[in-house]
Amino acid sequence: MSLTRITHLPPAGFLGCVRQRPFLNPTSPSSLPRGATARSVYRRPGQPKDNRPPWEKIQLDFTKGVQGLKRHLALLKKELVEPLVGPQGKPLLEHMLEQNRVVWEFRGPEGLEQWSVSSDREIGGQSEVYLKLGRNSNTCLLYGNLCSTPPKDGETRYSGYCALRSKQPRCSFDRKVHMDWTSFNTLHLRVRGDGRPWMVNLAAETYYSHQKDEIYSYFLYTRGGPYWQEVKIPFSKFFLGYRGRIQDNQHNLWLDKINTLGFTLGDKADGPFQLEIDFIGVSKDYAHIEEFAYEMNKKP
Amino acid sequence: MMTCARCLLRLQGLEGVMGVVRPSADRGAALLQAASVLTQTRGLSKPHGEVRRPFHGSSARRERRPPSALLQPEEGGEAGRSVVGGEAGRSEEGGEAGRSVVAQDNLFEPRTRDKAAFGAAIEAFTRQSRRRRGHVEFIYAALQKMPEFGVERDLVVYNRLLDVFPKEVFVPSNFIQRMFNHYPRQQECAVEVLETMETYGLMPNMETKVLLVQIFGEKSHPMRKFQRLMYWFPKFKHANPFPVPRLLPADPVDLARFSLTRIADDLDAKVTVYQMPCTDITEAGEEVTFPHIVGSQSPEQMELLAQHRPSRPVFVEGPFPLWLRTTCLYYYVLRADPLPPGEKGEEPYDPERSLYYPLQLELDLERDMGDLGDDFDVDEVDEGPVFAMCMTDRGDQATLNQWVSGLQETNPVLGQVPTLFRLDSGPRMLQNPVAQGYRPHPETEPPAPKEEEEVEVYPSHQQADVTLEEEPRHSRGVKQ
Repeated sequence: MSLTRITHLPPAGFLGCVRQRPFLNPTSPSSLPRGATARSVYRRPGQPKDNRPPWEKIQLDFTKGVQGLKRHLALLKKELVEPLVGPQGKPLLEHMLEQNRVVWEFRGPEGLEQWSVSSDREIGGQSEVYLKLGRNSNTCLLYGNLCSTPPKDGETRYSGYCALRSKQPRCSFDRKVHMDWTSFNTLHLRVRGDGRPWMVNLAAETYYSHQKDEIYSYFLYTRGGPYWQEVKIPFSKFFLGYRGRIQDNQHNLWLDKINTLGFTLGDKADGPFQLEIDFIGVSKDYAHIEEFAYEMNKKP
Repeated sequence: MMTCARCLLRLQGLEGVMGVVRPSADRGAALLQAASVLTQTRGLSKPHGEVRRPFHGSSARRERRPPSALLQPEEGGEAGRSVVGGEAGRSEEGGEAGRSVVAQDNLFEPRTRDKAAFGAAIEAFTRQSRRRRGHVEFIYAALQKMPEFGVERDLVVYNRLLDVFPKEVFVPSNFIQRMFNHYPRQQECAVEVLETMETYGLMPNMETKVLLVQIFGEKSHPMRKFQRLMYWFPKFKHANPFPVPRLLPADPVDLARFSLTRIADDLDAKVTVYQMPCTDITEAGEEVTFPHIVGSQSPEQMELLAQHRPSRPVFVEGPFPLWLRTTCLYYYVLRADPLPPGEKGEEPYDPERSLYYPLQLELDLERDMGDLGDDFDVDEVDEGPVFAMCMTDRGDQATLNQWVSGLQETNPVLGQVPTLFRLDSGPRMLQNPVAQGYRPHPETEPPAPKEEEEVEVYPSHQQADVTLEEEPRHSRGVKQ
């Protein structure tokens, strides 16, 4: 099954891109976190392999180092001070009784820095995607142009996707931190789209490295029109896919270590699109008791 | 031999096309002729001395209509197609040498590109080679040509394509074959057929299953693919809470009505057709077309508009895109700017609005520990109220002004309120992010030139006095 085909995409295009790819690279290398260099990027068919030894790819810069050190020390200080108040910087009672949490909101330019956009430019397509703040600069507007003409490299058969993905949250010294959503069971979004269907992707931390492209997805249908739309998606509905293929052996999403959340558009309708996001949160819906919406039986 | 056969094929195709025009008696003659050609071919091919491999036709195939009566919308197509089949048979009598390599694309070059022609091509292929040599290439070629013939959403055609595979040859017969990938090229090809079906959202049926079992066996890769399709497609079939029909109404007024009901998000919203599309000829002899104007307004929106302060202007904004599957429509919105923070006043409850239950309760209840509330801790996005929406196929000011005048009949406030037009140039939605002053990714900025937002003062109606000249009147002629 390839309902999520478009989502898989260059798995590393979102996070890792350090090699110089002047005509392919829509994300600026400076906005990428350090430590993401270990992942290989998608190499287009016909593109020569980068055979440079690893030490030639390192760029040493003194000012960059000082800035990084300052940033990391600030993060470290925050990390040390926060537990004095309570878990995750909140008082204990509030933390225990939390029923909903706003995870991402866009109330200024700093909200956009936690996100990265990508499109099929990376595999040679012609889609464009841009991210900016909305009209009164407290929403996030993802817009662009979708073009599903596959690149003429002889191998790629499908193209036409645009994606927005949150960056992996990191604490000091580039250690990964994960979001713990175990006390919630519903993803809550407030969006305004243009009628196109999107896909919401959740990536959790995995144990083995070959599982790193496993992504849990569900659909986000937008109504279109001038009104905002509140969307609640229970986590039990997310199905497992690997590199764009729905897996036969399904499993429910484990919410204790969530890494990233993303949106993908790939509905094969060429033309402009836009999606405006007000906030993304998680909530606890007591009426929802389903654990997993799909059968978990093995194939015969 | 091949070129000769192709010429003949074209000639016969022409004949088939002409058959539409011919009177019915003549058509009957053509049919008869085709039938005679068919019988003749059969008779000729038998003494050829070939030992025919007993291909098992699928039971599904057997229970269908006879192949000559398959898939034809008009009789002309039928005559042409069966003649083509007979023709292909005739090429067979020339010997095996000429058709060892078949250029599969040539089968897909008829005059008319429709379902009947596609079926004819498949029929021609299955007839011209008893061993079905090169069927994998044929199926790949057919898959590529499907959108051209307009049959990419037709399940029957996919089943016929799968029927091209010889039956029972690729079924693994012992455990070693079953363990390894038996006939991988053929299996990949069948998976590709199923994947194309999946791309177009077609769910296979029982006939597909019977075919796949006959061709590849119970646990082959195509069968697995089939099972996955049958498992996941019904799961997500009705997942969309805002469904769009596959075939949208062709009439633009109906389409606009459907879209406005969809985006209104209010069951009470009333859709009004302000102007039907029509073409008129003026006295000067010019042809004038009037675009359709369809608007929608809910009672709530009317109430909001009635409370609107006449000193503040209302805006006609747009065009905003709305996608219904692969169709893009544009709508326009009548709205106001949000009130400045100081002027917001809470509306006092009218206690007589409902006599059955109180609208306001003053209870002093203790909060339990778990009652932290269900609301998210976010600031409300403050946007101006939307008063009405409309769809038209011509987004110029004169048309929209006509809509506002039509709205004025039900909303008399609009006569006193200045109406401003904030229209983007042309039906495109990509606004320039430069105006926001923030660039998330400087390299990803679009290279498009900056477009000025057009703000113009326009009287909403003839008797409406508009005295709002301080609005900038720039870029009057910039409209692109």
